[in-house]
Amino acid sequence: MMTTLDTHDSHAHGGSYFDGPPGLLAKIWQWMTTVDHKKIGVMYLFAVLFMFFLGGMAALAVRYELLDPVRTVTELQGTELVESTTGQRLAFLQDIMNAKSPNEVYNRMFTLHGAVMVFMFIVPSIPASLGNFFLPIMLGAKDVAFPRLNLMSWWIYVIGCLIGVFSILLGGVDTGWTFYTPYSTTTDADHYRVVLMVLAAFVLGFSSILTGMNFVVTVHKLRAPGMGWFDMPLFIWALYATSIIQVLATPVIGITLLLLILERTMKIGIFDPSMGGDPVLYQHFFWFYSHPVVYVMILPAMGIISELLAIHARKHIFGYRAIAFSSLGIAAVSFLVWGHHIFTAMGELAAVLFSALTFLVAIPTAIKVFNWVATLYKGSIVLNTPMCYALMFLFTFTIGGLTGLPLATLSTDLHLHDTYYVVAHFHYVMMGGTVIAFMGGIHHWWPKMFGKMYSETGGLIGCALVFIGFNLTFFTQFFLGTQGMPRRYANYVDEFQTLHEISTYGSWILLAGFLVHLVTFIMSLVGGEKASANPWGGLTLEWECESPPIEHNFHHEPIVKHGPYDFESVVPPHCDPKDYPLPQSH
Amino acid sequence: MMLSTTTLADSPSILQDWIFGGNAASRAAAQSDAMFLAITWFSIISFVIVIGFAAYCVIKYRRKPGVPVQPSPHHHTLLEIIWTVVPSASLLVFFVLGFRGYADKVVAPANAMELKVDAWKWGWKVTYPNGASSPEQKFLSEQVLNDGLVQQTGLQYPIFYVPEDSDVRLRMHSQDVIHSFWIPEFRTKMDVIPNRYTGYGFRTPKLKAGDTVMHQVDVYPDGSPVLAEVSGRDMWIFCAEYCGDEHSRMAATLRVVPREVFEEKVAEWGRPKSPWLLGQTIWKQQCQICHSIDGKPGTGPTWQGIYGTEGAFADGSTHMRDENYIRESILNPNEKVVAGFAPAMPSFQGSLSEEDLEGLIMFIKSPDRDPTTAGEDGDSAGSEG
Repeated sequence: MMTTLDTHDSHAHGGSYFDGPPGLLAKIWQWMTTVDHKKIGVMYLFAVLFMFFLGGMAALAVRYELLDPVRTVTELQGTELVESTTGQRLAFLQDIMNAKSPNEVYNRMFTLHGAVMVFMFIVPSIPASLGNFFLPIMLGAKDVAFPRLNLMSWWIYVIGCLIGVFSILLGGVDTGWTFYTPYSTTTDADHYRVVLMVLAAFVLGFSSILTGMNFVVTVHKLRAPGMGWFDMPLFIWALYATSIIQVLATPVIGITLLLLILERTMKIGIFDPSMGGDPVLYQHFFWFYSHPVVYVMILPAMGIISELLAIHARKHIFGYRAIAFSSLGIAAVSFLVWGHHIFTAMGELAAVLFSALTFLVAIPTAIKVFNWVATLYKGSIVLNTPMCYALMFLFTFTIGGLTGLPLATLSTDLHLHDTYYVVAHFHYVMMGGTVIAFMGGIHHWWPKMFGKMYSETGGLIGCALVFIGFNLTFFTQFFLGTQGMPRRYANYVDEFQTLHEISTYGSWILLAGFLVHLVTFIMSLVGGEKASANPWGGLTLEWECESPPIEHNFHHEPIVKHGPYDFESVVPPHCDPKDYPLPQSH
Repeated sequence: MMLSTTTLADSPSILQDWIFGGNAASRAAAQSDAMFLAITWFSIISFVIVIGFAAYCVIKYRRKPGVPVQPSPHHHTLLEIIWTVVPSASLLVFFVLGFRGYADKVVAPANAMELKVDAWKWGWKVTYPNGASSPEQKFLSEQVLNDGLVQQTGLQYPIFYVPEDSDVRLRMHSQDVIHSFWIPEFRTKMDVIPNRYTGYGFRTPKLKAGDTVMHQVDVYPDGSPVLAEVSGRDMWIFCAEYCGDEHSRMAATLRVVPREVFEEKVAEWGRPKSPWLLGQTIWKQQCQICHSIDGKPGTGPTWQGIYGTEGAFADGSTHMRDENYIRESILNPNEKVVAGFAPAMPSFQGSLSEEDLEGLIMFIKSPDRDPTTAGEDGDSAGSEG
């Protein structure tokens, strides 16, 4: 439990943050009521990973249904022609889910996948788990600015998830995660499942707002002595930009979802034209939040990548200020591009303006990628699991970014909108970007969070399987889209079968990769080798505290004397200088 | 970086075939493919430069024990200006070309033929300028058997006819939720919205020698269709905006035919029909996706043998299913919902005329055959199993 350093001091201040009082109930109560950002971060980590598992299962169900098209086969049995249907692979769930048809089972599955992945997994994923754990430590603080608010945000998240899961247990909804009106206000009119799911998203929004507010104040007020704005690690800059978006954009979705609930329950006509409303208004409201929130999902991932590449290449990040300011630039422009989700439902002038603004947001993203790649130049690159994930991010996220260009281009978007091309594009950004960076971040900070090393072999095998599975699953979908396969189809015409099959097989390899990671993590927790305080030779403040950190993070308030990426001039704390030699000319 | 999409559109490449299936049906569509291809080449080159350099670094600068990291600048102003300006300029080019291509796709010439498109859960109807609409259906698969007979199986989709080499403008409206009318071969779609008209235009292609479709030209005595190859080109129409259970079946066929064939057909469909035949046509166009006439329940109840019998309803009541009931169920479908079914049907108030209602009532009374003709089926395709 104790590390080799500062032993007597640690005793004086107590042990690691997860040493609780004796007794199981007392321990549980301590975790449930904790205001420690680290415990809250760890609880978030397991909760979002569980939601990732739930959403992933729904995704596998969707891919399983799409393995083959639905076919009516006529066979001669005796003297009679008998018709039978094949390819409805989810039909066995119809009674369990109380659905009208096998198609509705499929529709609920992709809705479940989208809603769980977006609202319960990817929006809170990195900020609420790794962000909560490391933002205060990387700033040199004892905790976030408002620890009780942090606990409240966690419990609001739990309540939101429970409402969502309750709606799923009642059978789920078939609205799509976007809840487009008037479909969402009229479907399942005799049931309250849709209202529950919308309410879940509404509640989860508050958790997001509170976390964002907490982070903004923490960054402004709790930086350690000596840490100026441009001495902050880039992960913090990314979380800061993310938090600003969360605080500004989330109230809009809250109001929109509330209006949706009012329309459904009290028949107040806001979006439904049969009651005098306007359905496209809903789409504007919805994307006014949901586009900026795309950057809530990707900015923290970009922050992780900046950390991972610098540390594992032992190189000062290239263009620190350019990366920091591009985070803020992306946050600002992200509020002006929502219209590109509705090019096919808006006037020509609006479409042209939104197309131009959308191209604008591509520039800071491209700059970030160039800076990351330039960071590798003359580095000292080690190919461990976090670094392999960071490199995988560069590969998949670059594809995700570049395939967005034909969607911003008006003429080509009219063809590609609402097809599998869009599905592939946003999975390359959201999964190839955020999830890949999240996996890299979890591996990178795992020794710090849990004080145990994981099997590097296990990590690398999982990483390789995820890379192969991910690309098989989603690269094929670009071609499905360009060749004419629409989104959200429970069935399709025969010519698309081969590509769908490859995609489904890819999803199984992807599953295998994540299972390998799961086993690796469990083995690490059960019998992993003890982690040193600074296994990667990092220079940010979290590597100055123990693995796992003590309850108040630092024994003494840290004083920042060097930049977070000064690998060429500083020997990392708690490391043998022989392992990290400095250039002699310096 | 200045690429002419017009030149590219005239020289389709293997890559283009591979990505799109090489089936662009209009000049605007071919230009859109060329635009996509130009962006794709730009992307491939950018990707190779960025990831290639990363791969080079990973190989060249692998960590070696005891070897210190080599110092290099932490930023480089000229390099950073270049990698900001070059992508910005390229994106500006894409934006301008994309805008021009967009205008070509959505704006139709003033003299284009206007087709009215109606959408509902779950079907499409195209109305021609003379008020007629197509009653023809296409089966998903047609198999020619050994004896020359054709077996038609699978789902049926309506066929909408358009003349070759002419300009068409769509004016679209939805009866219920939002749909989206997509013809992949014209590379264009637009949402179909319940409270406003939307639309776009396209120019149909000239038919080439090899463009043929199987078409029913006659009926065998046993009722099975006689098919022959005729000049024409079929394209899929898909609904691209999620609209519920049968979203993936909300498809249709757009058939490009020689102008004289088109004009003959539309004139024929415009002639008055017997009420039963009109009812059968409307059933095929609009009702069949949910209501069978062979006893199988679909999204809605079957129409087989319901007329003149008592029906059981979701609220526990029973009611005689007479003319009044049929009329009410079409215009105000949620008033009496049949037990075991969800209230999923949209109202057809305003979209079906008095004559249409009369036709449907006649058809539901006797779905199997027209009582006004002695024993002869109006159209065999309707009773196909």
